[in-house]
Amino acid sequence: MDSELIQQIRNQARDLLESGAVKGIIGYERASDGLTARPFFAYEPDAVERLIFDETCTHNLVKYLVDKKGERMAILAKPCDSRALNLLINEEQIKRDQVFIIGVYCPGVVETSWNQKGQTQQPRCQTCQLLKPVVYDFLAGQEPARQPEAEVYSDIEEIESMPTAERRAFWLEHLGRCIRCYACRQVCPGCYCPECFAEQLDPAWVGIRIAPEENELWQTIRTLHLAGRCIGCNECERACPVDIPLSRLNRKLEKQVAQLFEFRAGLSPDEQPPFATFNKEERLGSEE
Amino acid sequence: MDNPFIPNLATLKGTVELTPDIKLMSVELEDHAIRDGFDYKPGQFAFLSAFGVGEAPFGIVSLPQRADGLEFAVRRIGTVTRALHELEPGDTLGVRGPFGNHFPLEDYRGRDMVIIGGGIGMAPLRPVINTILDHRNDYGKLLIINGARTPQDLVFAPEFQTWMEAPQTTLELTVDRGDEHWTGRVALVPDVLKEVAPSSNNAIAITCGPPIMIRFTLEALKGLGFEDNQIVTTLEAKMKCGMGKCARCNVGDKYICRDGPVFTFEQISKFLEQP
Amino acid sequence: MNLLMSRDDLVRWLQLLLQERILLAPMRVQGLVLFQPVSKVEDITFDFANTTLPPKVWFLPPTETLFSVRSCDGHTELVPATVEQQAVIFGVRPCDAKGITLMDSPFLEEPGDALYRERRAKTTLIGLSCRQAQPECFCTSVGSAPNDPSNVDILLTEIEDGYVVQVVTEQGKALLPQGLAEAGAAPPAPPEPQAVPTEGIVPAMQMLFNQPYWERLAERCLHCNVCAYVCPTCYCFDVRDYPNKGNIERVRSWESCQSPGFTRIAGGYNPRGTKGGRLRQRFYHKLLYFPGQFQEIACVGCGRCVKACPVNIDIREIISDLQQLGAKSG
Repeated sequence: MDSELIQQIRNQARDLLESGAVKGIIGYERASDGLTARPFFAYEPDAVERLIFDETCTHNLVKYLVDKKGERMAILAKPCDSRALNLLINEEQIKRDQVFIIGVYCPGVVETSWNQKGQTQQPRCQTCQLLKPVVYDFLAGQEPARQPEAEVYSDIEEIESMPTAERRAFWLEHLGRCIRCYACRQVCPGCYCPECFAEQLDPAWVGIRIAPEENELWQTIRTLHLAGRCIGCNECERACPVDIPLSRLNRKLEKQVAQLFEFRAGLSPDEQPPFATFNKEERLGSEE
Repeated sequence: MDNPFIPNLATLKGTVELTPDIKLMSVELEDHAIRDGFDYKPGQFAFLSAFGVGEAPFGIVSLPQRADGLEFAVRRIGTVTRALHELEPGDTLGVRGPFGNHFPLEDYRGRDMVIIGGGIGMAPLRPVINTILDHRNDYGKLLIINGARTPQDLVFAPEFQTWMEAPQTTLELTVDRGDEHWTGRVALVPDVLKEVAPSSNNAIAITCGPPIMIRFTLEALKGLGFEDNQIVTTLEAKMKCGMGKCARCNVGDKYICRDGPVFTFEQISKFLEQP
Repeated sequence: MNLLMSRDDLVRWLQLLLQERILLAPMRVQGLVLFQPVSKVEDITFDFANTTLPPKVWFLPPTETLFSVRSCDGHTELVPATVEQQAVIFGVRPCDAKGITLMDSPFLEEPGDALYRERRAKTTLIGLSCRQAQPECFCTSVGSAPNDPSNVDILLTEIEDGYVVQVVTEQGKALLPQGLAEAGAAPPAPPEPQAVPTEGIVPAMQMLFNQPYWERLAERCLHCNVCAYVCPTCYCFDVRDYPNKGNIERVRSWESCQSPGFTRIAGGYNPRGTKGGRLRQRFYHKLLYFPGQFQEIACVGCGRCVKACPVNIDIREIISDLQQLGAKSG
């Protein structure tokens, strides 16, 4: 662990709490395996000693801010997480002046699950296009000695190259394992609907049946709802208990949106997302 | 295979519109043997199935000795109740039950009875009132306080005359908001209770209504000297099985479908989790 | 008297069972190990710690039809689902087997759940002792053990060139092949999982219901359903009607008390609307209410929830916290 970075985070957190500038800090602490990390809410100055930051801090904490409306909170944000902050500010789920963003220069995170710590960086870190958070109030750490990478979609192209029948079989097999735990939805900063379409019973868009075709409908619609909004934190795939390659659904649409609209979500709080913006000047293909 | 999730088929015999959103539904079980064996007491409930949508629990508001079929007061508020409201006489529905415990009315013989209901909360209290009226000499004074949002929302209006005319019986109606014809009280139920101030001596209060009404009614009753074991209510919850298997309707370690729905406030005060 | 089975004996036996019954066994599926119906013994994985989902997937499937509603000439008929086939589940760890026995309590008590009861009667459990304890395991702290035979019909314990076979029930005995030799030596000693002290947990829970501990812990809880779904003893379900190819089916599916709308009634009132209340409910059900009803803690120490929770809500940590809080409160 970079002890200087951690000290910067803890000092900043302590100052914020002692001055009353924020009610609490959302950061990371060591998990019960003594190896990986887990989200941590610090409300007292002494609690900041539990804050950590290292390559196991893969969790995107931004989702927690959706439930903290009306409370001034500070949050630790890696560059990827900070895109989620812009997304939620843009969608008016977070007020910019209600959140103090402790940005971190992130060296990349590894795959983790309980008591397991990977040796190599996650694929999304290997192609990270950001050097530092896109929005922050304080920046901890040192600028890394690397260049931003270009996004690579070889995982998507692999599926795109499959003939339709094979592609369908691929997805039905993976989505057949889905047990509709909704961990993917609950962990996702982009999924904050007070009543999810999957829980609606009138009409029952998906219903309660847990079976391959219903699961396919659930995942497809969720992915479509994230089109142009997913910021690529990959929390959905990490949270999934049955290892469904969800990133390959979301990144597919991310690739298409980038190609069609030259747009990537969360880079600016004032952006105009393609599916949430209507410009009269846009040609609709019909006589005006 | 005797599957307790399979409802009994029943026919909707008739409906009465009690309020703009509450219908009294009269239902007859198709199988004669099941119909004859369906024995229930005030306080118990049954699941009604609107096939194609699902099931929901409803208090049985009839009495076996008074009606041939089963009567339910159904408020149209969700998907199942909307589907039930759309049924016509002659349509098929499902009935599963009876479930739950009942009001121990035999234990209350000789006591003065104070029945306090708000809105659809009057539904489970109707068979209680009718039991008392059917055994009038077994009970002391009967005070019924029935409140609703507006005069149109007073449930069981067709029965008010009978209730009022019964010996030693007082009916106090009240609404939150009157209309151009209403000449009665415009007041909240707990305030009416405080005004009428029934004696708590040898009395039992049975109350049912929206949570906020219960809260203030409870306060008012205690203010009048009612002990927790003199105050009885019936709780509701989202239910899916009625048999303590789906683990959904519990308040702490009590399942409303099996340990309830009827509880005294003395019991409720000891619950770990409050409803 | 224990018997001996070689690896070849086991394969032959499973092949035989496969012909007459549904054989559920651990299979490698995309990097996970899951209980699946196997069509050939070669598909079974014998080398695994434990499956991602417990064998409860057989007795209480994620989705099942309770009955169908058929309309013909204006006449309605309800057609119950049936359970026809005999089944064998091979590779059940003692903790998971205990989980099934614990689930029997709510499902078999009157009125018994017919589908569960049929499957239970028609399924034989072949248990497999654990050779190693995993870091997340704590079965011995909650009334089980890596070699506990109590809840299976046959228990196999792996030895150098085969298995020691403990015949536990008549149902198990009837399934065994003839001519197995008697085991000479006792099976090897079981591994020792970590201990999680559980003394005083029940009275501690009585005292700690209204503590802010639950709301604070729930801050990081996502309120997904992962813990409940991977758990061998969680069994909450939802019931709803669905059209299916012209008929209506009444379907039962998994749901959990963690779901935000679990207790919400039509009209919107939700008696358990807070995160802390919902998180607390799961632990109180397992560690207080279920023991109050059935005299056993509804946790078998398999550690699946510890592994699967995306935010590290750890039941062992909670038990330890409650004990400490309980001791402080006197």
